[in-house]
Formats: sequence, C-alpha cells, structure tokens
Amino acid sequence: VADSAGASPGAVVDHALVRAHGFAAFVALLISAVFGIIVAEQLVHPDVATGVPWLTWGRVRYAHTQGIMLGWLGNAFLAFLYHGVPLLTGARVTSARLGWWLFGVWNLAVLAPGWVLVLAGISQPLEWAEFPLPIDAFVVVALVLAAVQFLPPFFRRGLEDLYVSSWYIIGSLIFTLLAYPMGNLVPEWVPGAQGAAFSGLWIHDAVGLFVTPLALAIIYFVIPAASQRPIFSHFLSMLGFWLLFFLYPLNGTHHYVYSAIPMAAQMGAIAASTLLGVSVVLVVANLLLSLRGSGFVPRDIGLRFVATSVVFYLIVSIQGALQAQMSINQAVHFTDWVIGHSHLAMLGFATFAGIGGIVHAWQRLPAARYNVRALEWGYWLLTFGVVLMVVDLTLAGLVQARLWESGAPWLDSVRAARPYWIVRALAGVPIVAGFVALLVGLTTRPRGAGPAARDAEQRALASASGIAPRLAATSAEGVS
Amino acid sequence: MSYLVASVAGVAFFVMSVVLLGVWPSRVLEQQSRAMAPEHVLTLTASERRGREVYAREGCAYCHTQQVRYLHADTLRFGAPTLAWETQLDYPHLWGTRRIGPDLARQGATHTQDWHFAHLFAPRAIAPDSVMPAYPSLFDGSADRPLQAARDLVAYLETLGRARELAGPEGEVRAREACACPDDEMAMMALSGTMPLDASPARPRPRGEVPAVPAVADLERGRSLFAANCSGCHGSAGTGDGPGAATLRPRPANLAEHTYTRARMVDALWNGTVGTSMSAWRDHSPADLAALTDAVLAFDATAPDAPVAADELALGARVYAANCVQCHGAAGDGRGSAASELRIAPTDFRAQRPSLSVAVRALAAGIEGTQMAPWVDRLSDAERLAAARYVRSLFQGDGAQ
Repeated sequence: VADSAGASPGAVVDHALVRAHGFAAFVALLISAVFGIIVAEQLVHPDVATGVPWLTWGRVRYAHTQGIMLGWLGNAFLAFLYHGVPLLTGARVTSARLGWWLFGVWNLAVLAPGWVLVLAGISQPLEWAEFPLPIDAFVVVALVLAAVQFLPPFFRRGLEDLYVSSWYIIGSLIFTLLAYPMGNLVPEWVPGAQGAAFSGLWIHDAVGLFVTPLALAIIYFVIPAASQRPIFSHFLSMLGFWLLFFLYPLNGTHHYVYSAIPMAAQMGAIAASTLLGVSVVLVVANLLLSLRGSGFVPRDIGLRFVATSVVFYLIVSIQGALQAQMSINQAVHFTDWVIGHSHLAMLGFATFAGIGGIVHAWQRLPAARYNVRALEWGYWLLTFGVVLMVVDLTLAGLVQARLWESGAPWLDSVRAARPYWIVRALAGVPIVAGFVALLVGLTTRPRGAGPAARDAEQRALASASGIAPRLAATSAEGVS
Repeated sequence: MSYLVASVAGVAFFVMSVVLLGVWPSRVLEQQSRAMAPEHVLTLTASERRGREVYAREGCAYCHTQQVRYLHADTLRFGAPTLAWETQLDYPHLWGTRRIGPDLARQGATHTQDWHFAHLFAPRAIAPDSVMPAYPSLFDGSADRPLQAARDLVAYLETLGRARELAGPEGEVRAREACACPDDEMAMMALSGTMPLDASPARPRPRGEVPAVPAVADLERGRSLFAANCSGCHGSAGTGDGPGAATLRPRPANLAEHTYTRARMVDALWNGTVGTSMSAWRDHSPADLAALTDAVLAFDATAPDAPVAADELALGARVYAANCVQCHGAAGDGRGSAASELRIAPTDFRAQRPSLSVAVRALAAGIEGTQMAPWVDRLSDAERLAAARYVRSLFQGDGAQ
C-alpha cells in the first residue's frame, strides 16, 4: 500500500533526485519568468533592448514558452515523479544512475543549449516547438529515459488496481513520446496548411498529453495524501481519465478555425473541444468533492496550491470550450484573450499543480528546509498576479476584438492595448516575487522543518475534523 | 488482458486523432492544392529563402499571422482568404496564432523597399505608436545601409501573396473550377472573385477614385491624427524631415512648402502615392480624412506670389512646352504622353503648387528617387526660374477641380 503520508515507504524515494529536479525547476521557472517580463516590458517600451539581438522580442518569447514547458514544468513533473512513482508502486524507480543521466540530458542537453540556440537565432518557428531539431532529438532521448525510469515500477508491481495518478503518469509518458516528434518534425516536411494541421495537433497535445495528465497526476496524488481523505469517486476519476485521453488529442484544429483546413476537421475539433469542457466539469466536480472538508483555503500549502489549480483548471477548460465555438473564436482568436487563456492554463492550472507537487514532496524530504511563512507569501503573491494578468489580458482581448471588427485602423488596436499591456507587465512583479518567495520557502529554516510542518499539519487536521481513528484506513484507500 | 485492451485503446485514440486531424486533412489539402494551383508556382530565390529564415528566427510569425481567415472582417482588412495552395512552398508554415501587428499574407507590394528598411531599422521613426521591435543588427548603422540579412528579409516580404497575384484572374477561375464545392459556403466566399485579392488599406493605388469627405472638419482631431500617423516621415511641423524621413527616396513631401487642393490631399491620403513610401490611409473614416486634410493644408507656409512679368511667364511656358509636357502634360495635370510609363506619377501642378524655392531646387537637382531629372546642365538659371514660376501659375485651387 502506497501511503505517502506514512514513514516507511518513503525509504524508496530518491531524495537527491527530488531535490535536484525541484531546484532545477525553480531556477528554470525564475529564468523563464524573467524572459516573460522582458517580452511584456517590450510591449510597453519597445526600444528597451534595441540593439541587443538576443534580447529581441521574438527570440525571448521562444525562450519564455520553451523554458516554462520544458524547463519549469518538465523538471517539476520529474521532481514529483521521483516522489510519487515509488509511493504509488511501492517500488524503486529503475536506477538512480539513470536518473542523473536523465537530469543531465533534460537540463544540460535540452534546456540550457535550447535557450542559448533560440536566443542566438537558431530555432524553429513552430509554437511549443521552438527549440531547433537537434535539441528535439535530445528531448526524445530524455523522454525515452523517463519512460525507462518510471514505467517499470508500475509493471513490476503488477497492474491490478492502478490508482488514477498512475494511469495519468503512464499515459503521459507514452503519449508525449509519440506526440513530440510528430509536432516537431512533420511540419518541416509537410508544407503550409498541411503542416499547420499537424502543428495544431501538437499545440494541443503539448497541453493535453504532456502538461495536463502530469498536472492531474499530481492533483489526484496530493489531494488524498495531504487531506487524508479519499478521492470522492474512483469511477469518476477513471471516466475522466479515459474521456480526457480520448478528447484532448482531437482538439488540435481549433487553433485554426476559419482557415483553409477542411471544415470537417475544424468542426470535429470544435465538437471535441465542447465535449472536453463538459468532461473537465466532471473531473473537477470529483476533485472538488474530494476537497470537501479541507477548507476553502486549505492550510497545507501543497494542498492549497493543488486546490487552486483545480479551480483554475475548471475556468480555463470552460473558457477553452467557449473560445473554440465559431462565434466566439472569430472575435477573440489572435487577440490577447488567447494569451490570457494560455497563461491561465500554464501559469494557473499547470504551474500551481507543479508547485503543489514539489511543495508536497519537499514536506516529506527528511532533510529538507521548509519555511511556511515564505510559502504563504508565495501563494498569495502568485494567486494575485495570475488573476490580475489573466483578467487584464482577457479584457485587452475583448477590446482588440471589438476594434478589429469595427474596421478601425490597425494601430488603434495597438494604442488601445497599451494600458492593458502596462498592467500585464506590472502583474509580472507579484508573480516573480511569488516565485522568489517559494524558492525562499524551500531553502530556509532548519533542515527537517518540512516533515515537522507536515506532522503538525496532520495532527491539526485529525483533531479538527475528528477523523483520527479513520486516518489509517482512509489514507490507504485514498492512495492505493 | 484488460490492460492490454486499455493500452491498445489508448494508442488507438492517439492514432485516431493524428489520422482525423492530421493525415486526412493533409491529404485533402494536398489534392486541393494540386488541383487549384497554377501550373508553375514561382519558388523562392536564394535571397528570399534566406529572408524567410530571418523572419522565422526573429519570431515575426508570433505577432504577424500569414493566414487570412474566411471572415468578413479579415477579408475587408487583408483581402482574399488564404488558400492551401498558396502555402504549398512553406516549410515549415508560418501561419501564427496571434496578431499584435497586422496579417502579412498579402503584404507584398504594399510598401517600398526604403520604407521597409526605415521601418525595420527603427519602426517608431515611421509609426510613432508601433510596438514592433527594432532590428538595427540587420543594418550597418543606418537604414540606408542594410546588411544582406535585411535585404533578404525585405525580398521575402515582397513575396507574400505574390503567387496568387501572379496567377491572375485565370488563376482564380482555375481554382474556382477545381474546387467544385458549391456546398462549401466558405470556399465559395473565398473564390467568389468579388473581393480584392489584397485589401490592405495601406497599399497605394493609382490616383483618381476618392470617397466623399465632409467639407467641414475638426482641425484639432486632424492635428492629433497627423502627429500619430504622419509625423514619423513628414515631421511634426510637416516639413518632411521626421525621424523616418532621412533614408526615404523620394523624400517625404515638405508640406509647408506646398499648396494642395483639398481634393488632391484627400486623394493622396486615400490612395497613397504609388512608387513612393507614402502609404494609403484607407482605414480612416471620411471625417478623419477630412480632418487630416485640414491639418495638412494648414502647414502651408508658402509666400504669396510676387507679380510675375509677362515675358518671364512666356519664357517659362516655352521651356515647359519644350521639356516638361511629355511627363507633366500640356495642361500641367501630370498626364503627359510618357506619364503612364513612369513608376511614380508626375506632379499635377493644377492641384499641387510647390513653393518657388522647392520648384527651383527640383529643376536644378531633380528629385531623388523619381524620374524627375536635374536640368542644371540643359537649362540656364533664368530658364529654370521662369519654368518654376510658370508651373506655379498652373495651380487652379479647389474651385476649378
């Protein structure tokens, strides 16, 4: 039985790799956020970096999104997997040596050279695939290493009664390996509109087969482990899993509505987007019901990030289903609305889940430092920043949509966006401050503060809700 | 066993998505392209291909889409929706999913090379409110010293929309017949032949057709529109020496040294000036065009004419008749017999009167970037002065138009 709250199974967790990927994740997050601030600032003061080619808007934007997806979320997910997979399977991951190779490839053969190359002007102009092809080869190598590292424990343990997180982890590791080469290679051989059809697929697969499943794996893991209550319904969990893996890949063409791509494909993708919105309501309902009793703002920081991530997930998915509809898409597509949407997805939903996973794992590292106060600050700064940015960009998108539709001169839409771009750039301040606070939270206070905080948390939880006698039983049920 | 079924099902989901949304549409598009494309589509030259690489590496596609959608608002602003065959040489595609700047699918032939160089070197020198990044690293210190990368990039920009323009009306007919898609409303819209291929409001068009504009305009509004849209080239005082002006050939007009009729100015704003960096401003409302016109006319600081001796005027007329009518026309309307051969339309002196000093200077030195040649070697000082006085006398004002 994999009880992450218990003491003994933790022995199979490789603490050093959790820490290494956790730190790498936060460093990549801070660097990527700085890239984000640079591009946001350039929309307000376009000449701020003029004359420095590697700081040009286009190149830094490539570095920003690739850094967030591969550097931050990739490392955050790996940190979680080193904590979660042994606890889910009761077995060690394949090899610590392999783990350090994976760490090295991911950070030193993918992320660092990828950043250097796109900033130097060697890149691929495909969304969520901007790192050039040689880097893509290393990504595929790393994904194979990750599959070898994390899949065998599931098979070794036997596949009966896989918990839903395990399903998501297995699915994501396999499907990212399939989707990544498709999205990065096919548009290089298949021209124009045809290539765009494949790009659309990948843009949504990156979110749907890599980011979302691993974020949900964290969410499904942390909620029962931290709240000591089982998931509301395992049936709904599994129904959600299959619906998401069926529907996510079918969304791709909704990035090219009203384009030359055959209307049947566009319509199919729009229908799938609508159904996906409905499915996510189902998934989120199950998750929110599982969070009953944890309070509106859970006290445990890891759980709190995860709970907030669930709320962002609901909003972003309903938004996504709506903006795929032709009547809404024709207005808001190409505007800042979509940029708001992608930040709600990557910075709201996925990043909050990633932080939740790392914080949760950190609390359970015997020698980790853990500063609750700093983490509290991080949570509130980040929540404020994300909400401010998303609301601001959504409004900007509506203004742009209205002006474009009115036939006003193009530059009017640029002028009108300026106040919103100022607010968006300023929203970067609490966001980066939040990231710094989180990093402080994971690096200050005496060693061993994490487990101490966790124990205090769980004593309080148990006494407050009077469920102490049931604790052992529920946790076993919850995460088995 | 159930896990085997689940794995097969899972992989099947992914394969299904790739087939339904990737492989199948791609096949349809390929067949469509083959049937609709002209027999010979011009491929990119080496320079244009390198320019495309610059466009790709600088992330231009992340602010400028290259995909006109099948939507009324898109076709009004950018032109005919993008057909698959137009993109069949794009490896990889540069469609983009965000428009901070306008769509560029039909950008070719909208601006001059000078304009592109000045704009890439310092976008805000041309358009003060633009947020486009500047690319001085593509230049050797100045907009008129483009490096190879800048030349390549501009060469590439000139290709955007070219294939379909070259295919011409026959190409549209061919595409319409090949499509055979009477049930596909959007395809019919794209191929109806009723919309201009390039609807860009900035693309200069020949003089002539203008909208009706109100006679009374808001001068203050005109001044702020001028500052926002025109001052980059024409300067905030209209003297043709704005921050973007230095490298444009011909230079932007010095509005203080010219008297224009209202009709001429509305025409210049609505149609731009073909062959020069003067864009059209068709996305502005008639009221705004009228306001801008007033603002421009108010810059006129040319001195009132001193009386001209009759014999000097007669000399000017003789010089003009002997040397200028081929281009500027016997009546001075810019429609001489050679005018249609010229890239830039000769000045219509009935609607536009240069100051004496501007006219004298143009006669002596010519106008760089146009076919107006220097006459200093062929006409004496007195002849040139007389000709300058004569062309000024041709101005008719608004009443006569």
